[in-house]
Amino acid sequence: MAPSQAGYAPSLDKLLKSLKNHPLEASIDALIFLLTRRQVHGDDCAIATAHILLQVVARSKWNDVDQLLARVQKAGSRLVYAAPDEPVIGNIVRRVLGLIRDEASEERNADDLSESASDIQTLTTSSSPPPRPPPLVRSTTAGGSMSVSKSMFNLLSVADPADLPTGASTPVSQAQPASIQALRSEVIDGIEEIMDEISQADDQIASFAEIQINPGDYVLVYRPSKTVEKFLVKAASKRRFTVFIAGLEPHKKQGAEAPYAALRKKLNAAGVNTVNLASNGLTAYMARVSKVVISAKAVYQNGGLLVDSGSCIAVQAAEAYSKPVIVLCGVYKFCPQDPSEELSWGGVKGNSSAEVSYAEGAEVDELEVENTVTDYVRPEHVDIYLTNLGPQTLHHFAGILADHYKPEEMLLSLQLGEA
Amino acid sequence: MASEASGAPVGAPASAPAPAATPAPAGGNRQPTTAAAAASPTATATAPAPASSGSQLTPVQLKAKAKAEKAARRAQVKETRDVAALAAPVPPAGGAASDAKGGAKGKGKQQDGTQGTGAQAQGRPAHPHRPSMSGRRPSILVVEKDVRSGIPECFSHVPMAKRMPASQAHKDVHPAVLAVGQEMATFAIRDSIARLEATLLAFKKVIESYETPKGNSLSRHFVPHALNPQIEYLTECRPMCFSMGNAIRLLKAKVNKFDIDTPEDEAKEGLLGAIDVFIKERVMLAEFVIARNAAAIIKDGEHVLTYGRHRLVEKTLLQASEDGKTFEVSIVDDPYDGGGRELAKALRHAGIRVFYSPNLGGLNAIAHRATNALLGAEAIFANGSLQAPAGTADVAMAVSAQLKKVIALCETINFDRERISVDALTYNEVDPERNTAESFRLLFDNTRDKYISGVVTEFETGSGLSPAQSILALLRKQEDPTIA
Repeated sequence: MAPSQAGYAPSLDKLLKSLKNHPLEASIDALIFLLTRRQVHGDDCAIATAHILLQVVARSKWNDVDQLLARVQKAGSRLVYAAPDEPVIGNIVRRVLGLIRDEASEERNADDLSESASDIQTLTTSSSPPPRPPPLVRSTTAGGSMSVSKSMFNLLSVADPADLPTGASTPVSQAQPASIQALRSEVIDGIEEIMDEISQADDQIASFAEIQINPGDYVLVYRPSKTVEKFLVKAASKRRFTVFIAGLEPHKKQGAEAPYAALRKKLNAAGVNTVNLASNGLTAYMARVSKVVISAKAVYQNGGLLVDSGSCIAVQAAEAYSKPVIVLCGVYKFCPQDPSEELSWGGVKGNSSAEVSYAEGAEVDELEVENTVTDYVRPEHVDIYLTNLGPQTLHHFAGILADHYKPEEMLLSLQLGEA
Repeated sequence: MASEASGAPVGAPASAPAPAATPAPAGGNRQPTTAAAAASPTATATAPAPASSGSQLTPVQLKAKAKAEKAARRAQVKETRDVAALAAPVPPAGGAASDAKGGAKGKGKQQDGTQGTGAQAQGRPAHPHRPSMSGRRPSILVVEKDVRSGIPECFSHVPMAKRMPASQAHKDVHPAVLAVGQEMATFAIRDSIARLEATLLAFKKVIESYETPKGNSLSRHFVPHALNPQIEYLTECRPMCFSMGNAIRLLKAKVNKFDIDTPEDEAKEGLLGAIDVFIKERVMLAEFVIARNAAAIIKDGEHVLTYGRHRLVEKTLLQASEDGKTFEVSIVDDPYDGGGRELAKALRHAGIRVFYSPNLGGLNAIAHRATNALLGAEAIFANGSLQAPAGTADVAMAVSAQLKKVIALCETINFDRERISVDALTYNEVDPERNTAESFRLLFDNTRDKYISGVVTEFETGSGLSPAQSILALLRKQEDPTIA
């Protein structure tokens, strides 16, 4: 896990605040630095990526859609490469790329309407783009307010070229900046909508809490993320139940506050009992547990989960005692790809020096110490995927993925990895 | 033993006339009972009377005695309360409850208990201990009074080892047993076989210093008056493990088999000899045989997964290495215990390639790489499920999910033939270090037999590997040839 951030250490908050003042490249480098050190991890990655890509769109120089796509892709792949165990970064990059293509094709359609053929050459992607359905699918999935605003953008974008005085005779150099400006602002709006979706996901998931949690339940959570915390607190406002918090850091620093004190305080105040399980194995408690709630770092196409190391212990124990496993995950965490072979048989290795002191002598030096930070959970162990769009099962995955990603981006996985 | 000597004269002369005196006191018989009655209040005032003397008093005397005890207790409680009041207000719940309980039973031992808690309440605050988060108790002083108060309600039935000041122990407890009890309470001796061995060696000391009081026979007197207080004390320090229970059952059976007029020396010799044989056969030989049998299962080029550090597993791996086999070991450790690291060092020292994982994270990958798993068990229930350090079940499930062999190692003395357990909440212990809602831990978990391919015990079977139930059948048939 990320070390606790000291006062002067770089952090995501500082980075986001200083985005406007720093050059674009410096901001990207700063985020990469934070990602490689795992100082930005988990759910923060998505929002950080969106912020950076927003800057790329807003501040980098580009003259046509291809250039913009290339820039976004380049910056995106650097971020993906910096944190290979955070697939959610790739998801956001894909979403933004898809967004740009959407807006560009709308632009082109608008231009087609106004018969300004000369602009097509500059705006469309180099080779003939495959015909695709109008981008309504995305707006239906991302909430009502979005579809309204979107239609307004459409109005503007249609209106823009129409306002131009002459169609065919307009010099290319004049038409370009205007349409690029329009595209820029639309893409920025789109990215802001993605950011809204990310930041609202937790609250939307939490709104399903009282349906899933029943009075008298014993809920086991493993290293509760912000998503799980919100979910529990929301449930606590309606229900009386008991929460077992597992996955504590075993080596507590002297004088440090008890783990998850803030969460426990909130829950206790609502009349919900909490017990911190300072335990490695979790099977011992499973007879008492009535459901397991975990959050995923990412959900793969096959329904498998990327989770914090150790969550799979909770899931496996739940399976043995036939207890339901509820996975909380925003739709933005759904990856249009399958887990790598390596991942499905093992986690991503982490820092081992924290676990074994090399002062212990030569024997320790020769040990092969393994410490994983992430684990993979097989889809058959998951009962409910609780997303911001409501509870889902494996059967709906293809639909959800089709709604959120374009075919070009679904195939992007390899390119992202290579950068 | 001084207390034993002083207790005996009170009980011994009274024992003969008392049965006659209780229904209808005849003239001639009155003398000894009144003497006892006169003596008893003074005895209770100075020191708690032994539990045995209570049964020989008439109802009137009992009443007088109970009254005196109650008065003494009240004074004591008041004293405690006064001391406590200096530091913080005391909620009456804890003290009153134990008071009522003590009064109802009216036994010396109970009084002893209240005295002890009072002493504890005054003595404990110096001990650096986290205050409980339960928030019901207003002061640290009172929280410290009941170490179980922090245990979450849903686990309140699970027993826990507790440190008991030596002064609080029953006066009949032998010094050797006192020491063993303290070691168990502090987990200086923790695994079941070490506890068994320490207990038996201490019992040898008890037997050696035991003298049968006049008019009694060892076979009738030893168990209730000399052995049971030791057992009670040990159980209070930490719940008994199955091997201790089994051994004590066998020891008692051995005592009961002595004829009523077996000479004391002969009986003591017999008991001491039996304990020696027992330790030799069921502990030392068992360990040797299990290590040999289990080492034979490990093949060249295998990758063995184990959890934490267990004596038998360590012996087995070292034995296999000694036998010239080349294999690798993955150690998955329990970060709350850290024994695995010691095992890793020992194995490295023997030249075995070791992979060490500090916790259960990444278990699936490790299980995937392994060819089989060797797990040490604390005990095995009658239904074949394993009681083992918490986390063992998780490892066994992960390994058996990948269709690899899961082999448990366990001496037959750890088999329980009566108890059945299907989850870890029926028979378990709370970690005394982590017994609050802020940090809670159970020491053991329960691995169902379906996750275990076989158990290696010291019993010779065809392959040295057999399902747990078959060993139980074997045990039942043999009915313990060693001692009983």
